[in-house]
Amino acid sequence: MTRGALQRRWAGPQGVALAGLCLVGALVLAALCAPAILPGSPTAIAKDHALRGPTVAEPFGMDDLGRSVLSRVVHAYRVSLGVAVGSVALALLIGGPLGLIAGYAEGVPDQLIMRPLDVLMAFPAILLAIALMSVFGTGAALVSISLAVVYTPVVARVVRAAVIAAKVEVYVDGARALGATVPRLVLGHILPNAATPILVQASVLMAIAILVEASLSFLGVGVRPPTPSLGLMLADGRSFMLQAPWMVVFPGLAIMLAVLGFNMMADGLRDWLDPDRP
Amino acid sequence: MSAWVYAARRLMLAVPLLLGMSVLVFGLMRLVPGDPAVTVLGYKATPEAVRALREAFHLDQPLPRQYLAWLGGVARGDFGLDFRQNEPIGRMILDRLPVTLELTLLAALVAALIGVPLGLLGGGRRGGAADRASLAVGLLGVSLPDFWLGIMLILLVSLGTGLLPSSGFVPFTESPLENLQHLILPAITLAASRAAVLGRLTRAAVLDTVRRGFVQYARAKGLAERAVLFRHVLPNAAIPIVTVLGLQTGYMLGGAIVVETIFTLPGVGRMTLDAVLERNYPVVQGTLLVIGAMFMLVNLLTDILYGVIDPRVRKP
Repeated sequence: MTRGALQRRWAGPQGVALAGLCLVGALVLAALCAPAILPGSPTAIAKDHALRGPTVAEPFGMDDLGRSVLSRVVHAYRVSLGVAVGSVALALLIGGPLGLIAGYAEGVPDQLIMRPLDVLMAFPAILLAIALMSVFGTGAALVSISLAVVYTPVVARVVRAAVIAAKVEVYVDGARALGATVPRLVLGHILPNAATPILVQASVLMAIAILVEASLSFLGVGVRPPTPSLGLMLADGRSFMLQAPWMVVFPGLAIMLAVLGFNMMADGLRDWLDPDRP
Repeated sequence: MSAWVYAARRLMLAVPLLLGMSVLVFGLMRLVPGDPAVTVLGYKATPEAVRALREAFHLDQPLPRQYLAWLGGVARGDFGLDFRQNEPIGRMILDRLPVTLELTLLAALVAALIGVPLGLLGGGRRGGAADRASLAVGLLGVSLPDFWLGIMLILLVSLGTGLLPSSGFVPFTESPLENLQHLILPAITLAASRAAVLGRLTRAAVLDTVRRGFVQYARAKGLAERAVLFRHVLPNAAIPIVTVLGLQTGYMLGGAIVVETIFTLPGVGRMTLDAVLERNYPVVQGTLLVIGAMFMLVNLLTDILYGVIDPRVRKP
């Protein structure tokens, strides 16, 4: 392969998707190994270190209670990523089958499933999430459930559209003519060919979930303190942002980095797997 | 189908959706664990006080009757009384709605002014340096947490230079200049990530249009590239751009909750959050329905506008 061809290959969508994947992978790894790589506790209070600026040992500085901002950021990723994975998985689990049935059956079942879901989509996502949190109460698990409720109609719509597009393909007719049962038709032929948009959507939803969890926690209706959460850290840091700007700069950058990773993955996958790509 | 028939049809479809929304909002607030009267009055309240509040807010009646009474009130603009101050909620919303609407419209304007040129810059020449730069800016922009941007703007612009205020609000009728000064940072905060979405879409729409035959023909007949872009590409790319701007404006109504809280603007968004934090459920119920209805209205207008610009959409 010539150098030009190599460059083109990695500058293209594969490169973007891969870079996103690496970024997300690195963050997941850091979150999983947090206690091993950072011996400092994210919740241990040391008043004599309060508001100390970034140093070589503590590159992100210390917060108002003398807790390591780096350690808190890395631990907060556990909450961020956990909530994102939990909510998207739950939404796929509920919205996926609903969309599948609606798209495959069409007609009355389609209307019965999709019209109520339209009502959920009639609210801005963050507003619905806040409303649900006001009913459920606060906490990481409840944020996941709220977000799953918000995402279920999105997933159902994407799956439904993908199934409707895939089921009229010739290979589906062929399988049907060969006597394939409905479950085999759906799971073996339609779903695999509808996977691309679902995968892209899941990646986009992960990015939005990280943003929304941080927003909810920032507003005081998400994760409960003292659990380290990027949104909570920003809310705490606001009162000290003149004396200790690192308390708001690094958690914000951390949110952006994670969201960027998932967005790059979604972008790259979408272009890479797009059959009409020029 | 004429544009009028199309618009009327879209409006008719909105009615069941609005009813569904009212059921959801009402039901959601009844799912709250515990007795709302006890929540409001506290656990030390006397049984008589609890009973009086339950009667005053019709909490002692069966749910369907409560719902119909509430819906009937809402239809007449009466959202009931606030649990805490006993103020009419409709009045409270009406006082705060102009702030949210002004913020949202200003943010939509900012998003259009940043997003469309960003997309044109990129879409004009695919793969060039400008295109790559606009792609990178777009990707960073959609990943930008708006509340963090707001905090950073306060830190760098308000506290750093002292040029613009970091909080508070002055009505437009009092002083248009001060009004704008108080809204410009919140509007930028609300607009930034939506501008990036718009930029990405504008680029895609331009690239899609550039491939069409009539653009190739315009180029082949020797038209200057600028004329091709503004006379042929942009008008045709405008349809998806207008649609996405409309949808993004709707999402900004949700984002306004966050932005109004950061910049302490007295809008409906902050009112919603305050009510949630205070467990003031009649207020949450009212603002949820109003913001939801406005979101739906913006989407509806976008839909209708889409049908007006592009006659193909109107085909049943």
